[in-house]
Amino acid sequence: MATATDQVVGFGLVAFSLVLFVYYTIWIIILPFIDSDHGIHQYFLPREYAVIIPVVAGLLLLLFIGECYLCSSNWRFLN
Amino acid sequence: MTKLGQWLWGLALLGSAWAALALGPLGPRVPPPCRQVLLPLPVYLLVAFGCYSLATVGYRLATFNDCEEAAAELQEHIGAARADLRRRGLQF
Repeated sequence: MATATDQVVGFGLVAFSLVLFVYYTIWIIILPFIDSDHGIHQYFLPREYAVIIPVVAGLLLLLFIGECYLCSSNWRFLN
Repeated sequence: MTKLGQWLWGLALLGSAWAALALGPLGPRVPPPCRQVLLPLPVYLLVAFGCYSLATVGYRLATFNDCEEAAAELQEHIGAARADLRRRGLQF
């Protein structure tokens, strides 16, 4: 058995990615087929954000990874 | 053809199919709701793949079992190696 912390973190990641996937799927794929006066649209941002937010998040992730790589103390040895 | 070549070829095919439908001359002929779904489709697939990766990592982390016998055996090996090296004169 994995430690309790590992299990909490692991299943937390699973739950988080499931929620994210369901929300994003409804946002992108299901909402266009629902009439614009239905109440469900109030829970979702305008559709432009469905593209902008992942792109910005992806860029931030790449920047973060690059910064960790460039600023690591072993860089001179790895270079 | 290498695996990388196959992946790039598949991506190029799907990408050109998407571009032809979403950005190209066939655009206005697709019904409007389908068009609204089609345009963000690459971003959606990327996000879906990211969610799947995150879920897989989380699940494997949560279900990874300790191998107690292997750990005990390893400690035994370490102890034996330490004793052997000490006998041969290496200072710890």
